Amino acid sequence: MARQPAPLSIAPVPLDAGYVIVDQNSTSNSSSSSSPERFTNDEGPDCFMSNPDDSHSSIAELTDFRNMTVSPIEKMASLRKPHPHQQQQQPLSPVNRLPPELLIAIFSKITSLVVLKACMLVSRQWADCSVELLWHRPHFGEFTKYEAMVAAIQDENAFYKYSQLIKRLNLTPISAKANDGSMKPLGLCTKLERLTLTNCVNLTDSPLMDILGSNPRIQALDMSQLYNITDLSIDVVARNCPRLQGLNVAGCKRITDVSMVSLSKNCKFLRRLKLNDCNLLTNSTVISLAENCPQLLEVDLHKCHNITDESVLHMFNQLRQLRELRLAYCDLLTDDAFLKLPNRTYELLRILDLTGCRLLTDQSVNKIVSVAPRLRNLILAKCENITDRAVTHSIIKLGKNLHYLHLGHCQHLTDRAVQALVRHCNRIRYIDLACCTLLTDQAVCHLAGLPKLRRIGLVKCHQITDYAIQTLVRRTNDAPCPLERVHLSYCTNLTVNGIHDLIKSCERLTHLSLTGVDVFYSRKDFTQFCRPPPEEFNEHQREVFCVFSGSGVEKLRRHLSAERATSAGDHPFYNDEDDDTQEMEDDGEAGTDGVED
Amino acid sequence: MLEDVGEVTEAIPIPNVNENVLKKVIEWCEHHKGDPPAQADDDSDSRKKSSDIDEWDQKFMQVDQEMLFEIILAANYLDIKPLLDVGCKTVANMIKGKSPEEIRKTFNIQNDFTPDEEEQIRRENEWAEDR
Repeated sequence: MARQPAPLSIAPVPLDAGYVIVDQNSTSNSSSSSSPERFTNDEGPDCFMSNPDDSHSSIAELTDFRNMTVSPIEKMASLRKPHPHQQQQQPLSPVNRLPPELLIAIFSKITSLVVLKACMLVSRQWADCSVELLWHRPHFGEFTKYEAMVAAIQDENAFYKYSQLIKRLNLTPISAKANDGSMKPLGLCTKLERLTLTNCVNLTDSPLMDILGSNPRIQALDMSQLYNITDLSIDVVARNCPRLQGLNVAGCKRITDVSMVSLSKNCKFLRRLKLNDCNLLTNSTVISLAENCPQLLEVDLHKCHNITDESVLHMFNQLRQLRELRLAYCDLLTDDAFLKLPNRTYELLRILDLTGCRLLTDQSVNKIVSVAPRLRNLILAKCENITDRAVTHSIIKLGKNLHYLHLGHCQHLTDRAVQALVRHCNRIRYIDLACCTLLTDQAVCHLAGLPKLRRIGLVKCHQITDYAIQTLVRRTNDAPCPLERVHLSYCTNLTVNGIHDLIKSCERLTHLSLTGVDVFYSRKDFTQFCRPPPEEFNEHQREVFCVFSGSGVEKLRRHLSAERATSAGDHPFYNDEDDDTQEMEDDGEAGTDGVED
Repeated sequence: MLEDVGEVTEAIPIPNVNENVLKKVIEWCEHHKGDPPAQADDDSDSRKKSSDIDEWDQKFMQVDQEMLFEIILAANYLDIKPLLDVGCKTVANMIKGKSPEEIRKTFNIQNDFTPDEEEQIRRENEWAEDR
């Protein structure tokens, strides 16, 4: 292929050698007032923290696109290799009357990459109008496909300069095979906005420094579980990626304050940050983030064990946008972290995770509820000092705002707390009371009053009996029980009767754990529907493991019903009840969708 | 569009839209005049699956290609985004599931690639598969 130097004088966009403008005689006469809007909402699962806010640069691009004096077709042609022969005038069939931006508008309705690939092979004009959509967010399920893509971006004689078209890349599906050598070519890309490398555990700093160094537009970067990377990579981000809004470095345990402080000073638009398990980080990082990144919305400091009260105070003092704060296992935190907060409210704070902050007492909870009255998720698991008072005097003030409450291992809690909670916070969808061993059937009977309860955790609440479960699932107004996930492991007083009623009444049930409940784990005819125990379990753990999920629940349901039917003669009472409940379920079915909120 | 023009009493010429097409466009607007206004974040819808076209619109779009593309051009010219969307989705649905050659046949498009170029593009985009 004869390569010509780029005629920069007429180049509409910066060109790289070897790519020249192609004469597009009949195609660039467009003058539409409403250009198709592309890429403005391509939020996908590859972004670890999808949010419309992150699409800013794409919107900026759209604006460019509208104001461009150059039509998209010229832009594409500029990235295309030279046309070896004169383009022929095509007969004007109706579709050929469409200007390129309308062709692009049509292609942007196509989500299938396979269909876009077919469009690329139709004609030059179709290729020019579909190539950007096809390469915007490449996806591969297999490593060989990734290799084929890399070959195309590395080929100097490629039809298009594909490396300039990739905006989003998610290598998680091929994470096991991704290594330094195979990632290196991605350094050719310079327009990346989102890069997701979750679980690419073999990667080290070397290719990342290249890639991050050549992609100043990166807004969202997920390097979670890349435990080999060090300050070197983070330093490159700090120097080169001023637009960064989302960073996930969970599990990158080698990162220190040195790079994170400089990142906080240079990435002032940070909104979402996950630093889970980065246990070398100290207050220096958090304080610098609080001072330099006022737009932070979500911060996760899970197991950053060095963090102290000072960090929390700085965050609350300076981050007024905070929506989600996770401080699980920041076990140095004391009541001072919250008691010293000024008396202003944080209306935006929705999620607070204080799992395992063992030193906190009812006083902290009281202060938290008063400054964050709109908390939706409150996680106080393993805050062992918490007593009924935290619930009856504080948490209940969250009222209808509270949807999710985790009080697992708060062993002082009694039925009284649950009663107060249900009376005031009736929108709760998720509640976990695992290991609250003082709770009795009464507590569970109160929980039956939560109309929207989807998930309930009562693991090791060993006093609970069938009566509690039967009350929990019974609905007065013929409505189906909304429970979806029920955790009853080690509730050793439960029997088959209770579970049968549960599984029969809860048609939406997708998860039921009964580990350690011997009337279940010891029966082969039940455990055949269990999912397999985790690999790391020892022999005893395997023996008592008993968790039904997905289709396993349905199979268990049928099995229990069949068993009931055969022994119906012995238990006429249960037979009647079967019929009643069956009707109830059928009636409820039509209305099920309406119940959805 | 009227906002662009400001307050006028005279007729507004629409030179780029012929009578038959304008009639179709008006028919569409009449049918949809009660629709709720598009949301500000309606862009999210524009990437939605192309298959979700309501029944009336599907019937409305059962026209020859000449008319179909004229409607798209007119919707674009007259800045009627929901109609443009329906038109684009209709064409997208016609493309789906077809080979490049079938697409060319459907829309009467001339293949202006050399065999080598076609092979090259095929090879360079071979990685693309669906999620």
